[in-house]
Amino acid sequence: MKNRKFLNLAALCLFALLIAISGGCKKKVPVAPPEEPPPPPPPPKPTATLSANPTTIQKGKSSTLTWSTSNATNVSINQGVGDVSTSGSRSVSPGSSTTYTLTAKGEGGSVTASARVTVTAPPPPPPKPKKREPTVEEMFTKKVKDIYFDYDKSEIRDDARATLAAASEFLKKYPQVSFTIEGHCDERGSEEYNLGLGDRRANSALSHLTSMGISSSRVKTISYGKERPQCTESNESCWQKNRRAHFVLSR
Amino acid sequence: MTKFLAPACLLTTAFLSAPSAAPAQESDSQVRVVVTEGVRARVAVADFQQRGSQEELERHTRLFDDVLWNDLRRAGVFELVPKSFYPLQLPSQPYEVNYEEWTAEDVQAQNLVYGNSYMQRGQFVVEARLIDVNTRESIVGNRYRVDPDEEGVRSLAHRLADEIVLRIGGGVRGIASTQIAFVSNRNGHKEIFTMDYDGYGQKALTNHRSISLTPRWSLDNSRIAYTSYHRGNPDLYFRTVYDQRLIPFSHRGGLTTTPAFAPDGERIAFSSSKTRDPEIYVSDLRGRQLRRLTRARGVDISPVWNPKSGRQIAFVSGRSGSPQIWIMDEDGSNLRRLINEGGEAVSPSWSPDGVHIAFSWRRRLTGRFDIYLLDVVSGRFSQLTRDGANNEHPVWSPDSRHIAYESNRFGSRQIFIMLADGTQKEQLTRQGQNTSPAWSNYFRR
Repeated sequence: MKNRKFLNLAALCLFALLIAISGGCKKKVPVAPPEEPPPPPPPPKPTATLSANPTTIQKGKSSTLTWSTSNATNVSINQGVGDVSTSGSRSVSPGSSTTYTLTAKGEGGSVTASARVTVTAPPPPPPKPKKREPTVEEMFTKKVKDIYFDYDKSEIRDDARATLAAASEFLKKYPQVSFTIEGHCDERGSEEYNLGLGDRRANSALSHLTSMGISSSRVKTISYGKERPQCTESNESCWQKNRRAHFVLSR
Repeated sequence: MTKFLAPACLLTTAFLSAPSAAPAQESDSQVRVVVTEGVRARVAVADFQQRGSQEELERHTRLFDDVLWNDLRRAGVFELVPKSFYPLQLPSQPYEVNYEEWTAEDVQAQNLVYGNSYMQRGQFVVEARLIDVNTRESIVGNRYRVDPDEEGVRSLAHRLADEIVLRIGGGVRGIASTQIAFVSNRNGHKEIFTMDYDGYGQKALTNHRSISLTPRWSLDNSRIAYTSYHRGNPDLYFRTVYDQRLIPFSHRGGLTTTPAFAPDGERIAFSSSKTRDPEIYVSDLRGRQLRRLTRARGVDISPVWNPKSGRQIAFVSGRSGSPQIWIMDEDGSNLRRLINEGGEAVSPSWSPDGVHIAFSWRRRLTGRFDIYLLDVVSGRFSQLTRDGANNEHPVWSPDSRHIAYESNRFGSRQIFIMLADGTQKEQLTRQGQNTSPAWSNYFRR
């Protein structure tokens, strides 16, 4: 009995198989298509471009990203730029070399475009001004200042004494320094008398310095009379500026 | 306090005489310094007649007439009869002179200058005559010929003018052929320039592009001594006028300036600060045989010799506190101050006849520099300028009748000349600032 049952099952399966095979063969038989509306055209794929200008910047400087897209509804740029309009430009200032990727999404899918901004190291910062020693010339200018005189006088005034004291302090510290004392006058009076007066002013400054221990062998004097005025207006404030002894470092 | 020159008739030496027409300019001033003694000769100067029709001859003759007229006017010793009073027919030759016409009431010429001009072998020739219309005497009859250019024509007119002045202008040679040196910054630096006495022909003598100052002519006009900074220090140099050679004078250190050639032609006075105080020295022309004349604290500068005696030197000294004019013998003795009124007195110039010292003086009461004249013997002085400007640095012409000076009366500093009575002021320079005039001596003829 048991075998019969098996045989029956086998026969059933075989039958089912036959039906299945016969059904499969039926496909090769042409059949009339069913009546349906044409499918819509697939939405166009978006396009996108992205460029950076300049492509290489120094650290701290900026570059401009410029992009344009088509068929996109949503455009974004990574690296913290975020959503942007479908075309445009934006200045970026990356801290290190960065590839910016723009993603444009639309009905037809999404597309990406990239641009790289290379960041170079900034030029070495100007070396921190080290606490350097001022040059002798700078110190001379600072310490050995003009002295001023009264009209038609070559005597050293009290204010000039203080100036010359400061000067002699410096000059003693730098005994290698030699210099010229120029004597100058204001515009009043004859050219000739003023040549003499300027000479006396220069020598008056010199003799004051020698009295403070500065050797006259370091010093040359010259009178410019009224030929080289500091100031050219005809008033007392200007005249006072011109009645002076001026010190010039020798080279 | 102020001692003015008394009326001119009181002048002991009448180098100048009062032109009767020159009025005193201020009521308190009785000063009248005069250029000619007595009445000025009334002189007619007829345009010269051309013998030829060349355009060139026409041009040179008109220039000649013009320069001659201005020379005789500037001389200050004539009264020129205006040309509009002259007869229509001007003479060219002696036989064409109609004496009655020149002595007629409206002309009344005492002297007549006339003549003719022509071109001959490429030269411009002038035949010139000077006559006394009253006595009908011929005083000058000269023929001059020069290369036909402006310089030649001018020098020709100047020579004739000098001759006329010598013959009828009081026996002193005219100065129309002299030159004036000066300092100009017109090219950007102070350089030494020269020009004719009437301002024509201004040209640079130096091109140091530095500072050049204090020009003075040597006695024979062959050199100009001056101070220049072009080698760094203010030193004294000689520049030969014709070939422009440069001869250094001194390098003693310090300032060396304000040269003054002695009338003997062999010595020079100057100021040097080689002792660290400007003092007056005298040496030979090479700087040897140096002799120091002053020993005083203060500036001693601007020496001038008494041109007549050659035995005295006037100079500027600050020894009394402010600049004043002092005088001493050539060895430094007999020192005395010339004016005791105060203010500031600088830039002495001794007249060639020895009588007067011109100087610039800023008196306290005016506050400005003006030109004054001092009678050395009497000590009286007179004021020659009073225009509210600074008038400085007077220098005498070789005829002792004119003074060149610098003035800022029109703004910038310019060179002027005037008669020594303060009249006939005339501006000679206009370009840049022009200072420190130095009048040449007579040129050898």
